[in-house]
Amino acid sequence: MDFDMGDGVAGLRTRLRELIRTEVPEDYLGAFTDDPADLEAAQRFCRLLAEQGLLCMAWPEEWGGRGASPWEQTAVREEMWAHHEPRGAQYMGVNWVGPTIMRHGTPEQQRQHLPAIARGEVIWCQGFSEPNAGSDLASLQTAARRDGDGWRVSGQKIWTSYATMAQWCFLLCRTSSEAKKQRGLSIFLVPMTAPGIEVRPIRAMMGPHHLNEVFLDDVWVTEADALGPIGEGWTVVQEVLSFERVGIARYARCERLLQWAPVALGDQWEALPEELRGSWARMLVRARRARLLAYRVVDMQNRGRVHPGDAAAYRIAVTRLDQESAEVLMEIVGGADTSGEDASRFRRAVEDHWRYSVSATVASGSIEMQRILMSRSLLAAR
Amino acid sequence: MILELCEEAQDFGRSALGAIEAAGGDRLVQAAEADPAQRQAAIEPVLAGLGAWQLEPRRNLEEMEAAAALCRSAGHWALPYPVAARLCRPAAGDFDGLLVVSDVEPAAPVAGLGLRWAAAGLDGQGYAATARPAPAAPRRSAFVTRLDLQPAARVDTADLALALTLPCWTLLGMLDRAMALTCAYVLERQQFGQPLASFQGVQFQLTDAEVERVGVEELAKYALWSIESGRPDAVDDALALRAAAVEAAEIVFRVAHQLHGAIGFCDETTISWMSRYSAPLRRLPLGLTATRTELTRRLGRQGLAGLFSSPSSTSQ
Repeated sequence: MDFDMGDGVAGLRTRLRELIRTEVPEDYLGAFTDDPADLEAAQRFCRLLAEQGLLCMAWPEEWGGRGASPWEQTAVREEMWAHHEPRGAQYMGVNWVGPTIMRHGTPEQQRQHLPAIARGEVIWCQGFSEPNAGSDLASLQTAARRDGDGWRVSGQKIWTSYATMAQWCFLLCRTSSEAKKQRGLSIFLVPMTAPGIEVRPIRAMMGPHHLNEVFLDDVWVTEADALGPIGEGWTVVQEVLSFERVGIARYARCERLLQWAPVALGDQWEALPEELRGSWARMLVRARRARLLAYRVVDMQNRGRVHPGDAAAYRIAVTRLDQESAEVLMEIVGGADTSGEDASRFRRAVEDHWRYSVSATVASGSIEMQRILMSRSLLAAR
Repeated sequence: MILELCEEAQDFGRSALGAIEAAGGDRLVQAAEADPAQRQAAIEPVLAGLGAWQLEPRRNLEEMEAAAALCRSAGHWALPYPVAARLCRPAAGDFDGLLVVSDVEPAAPVAGLGLRWAAAGLDGQGYAATARPAPAAPRRSAFVTRLDLQPAARVDTADLALALTLPCWTLLGMLDRAMALTCAYVLERQQFGQPLASFQGVQFQLTDAEVERVGVEELAKYALWSIESGRPDAVDDALALRAAAVEAAEIVFRVAHQLHGAIGFCDETTISWMSRYSAPLRRLPLGLTATRTELTRRLGRQGLAGLFSSPSSTSQ
């Protein structure tokens, strides 16, 4: 066995941390705040990563990447999330929109979209969830009605992250009503400036601009906007989800904040109740556990052996870690004087982590869905 | 990154599983409980036949991984024998095994074996240990007995880490089995005209337990690698594993018992034996709270080695 990612990955980490230290504002806590400077910082950082060949490292060379190893990709995910995702919304374009267009897009779509994503110039949003189609996504009702040589799309999407700032939407809608609800779904790549699209922000505890409603009223799309065959959207969505199997490296932020706690609190650390420091140690073990479970999925995926149950086990472990560590960290800052500069920065980061962690077991597939997937695998294997 | 035991170790683990099954499998612990004096004679030849005593886990990576695989297989059958402790025997001195002990009422499940034991405190203090006669029948004691300790030379960090880690591999084998038994039971047992496995309340309990089990598996591999690669914080990694393994065992066995219902308390079910004989591994040398307290004390303000364990790496 060998749990060392090697010198190459260590060097990449050092380089990324140096870039973050020098190019991301010290108080940066994500792109989705009331301060437009935060979004600008994220956009600037993306362009910088792109210039240095670090934004789309995992992509094939043909599309501006350099075919980075799975462990290099893992390190990028970890470093970005640990430092409050300085790529802002663009991780979506890099992680799955681009790769899905590479697999299913027409040459025209690839030429139009891939270079823009690779240059860090474009933000995408994902038009999946609807008011009556959350975990049961295949029940979505947004419909594309045939009209001449195109379609008119009408309906409502919700919880659409980044929709206020996105230029493009990866839109899933129904192009026909068949007996099986997974049939008859199609994907269209739609510009957010298209007539008939209205975005309404939903103010939420993770920050403004994060969640939105998107209303579609007779939005015109054509064959050229369709990604993959009409009616085969569900298959593509399953692939999208497979790109997100490992998903966000939530454990990395947990680990960073937990390790930061004694540094930020200085002499106050030993004055914390012993029981609380015990909970802190437990969370460090849980963070390591989640990280190792993520590595297990990466390793299995790499060898073509990953099952939905393996990814679900990791997701359950990491989303619970997110919430449990947030509670412990909030207790830590609650019991200390955080008026000093570093302690104050630490407190703000912890508060942000706590607010964000509330969504961890809901976003990107609720923990209940993960448990259903996992129990299917567990029981089917017997 | 290589995240699996080497092929040879995995093969060895499978051979051990088969050899112990051929020697009696689940009946071994029942026979040992009925006639404690026979347990050594029933089990040692099986382990000797596997070449267990030729393994020297500290000699090389493959042998350490094979030792871990053997411990896991022993756990699968709740083998009533201190395999992990014996595999950890120190190179120096004339001992048959190494036990990690608490400084309060040192004890281990080694009653009636007549072996020569070295022992180590969590502070690395070494001892020569003598097992007292069993205080009670194994049905009550699970072969746990008090040890009398005579101070000896300090124990090497890697030896201490290994002696903490290998018993967790045995416990992992027990968790594997408890999950397998419970999944099989809920698929078979019908209530309200359908298998228990079809109820979401049952499924969710199973997944929660499985997340714990699989988490222990990964931490166990990491702790082994930490020793193999000579890391200075191998004891911290072993204690982190132990804390997670004991917590996982609480959850897995609670779920296993709950889903087996009343039959799970009965001697006719394997889960009942697994559950009882997991107790020494969970309680000794330190239970969950004491293990976590010791880990916290050792971590101080340094934390656990990981992505951000260097103080300068945390605050950007």
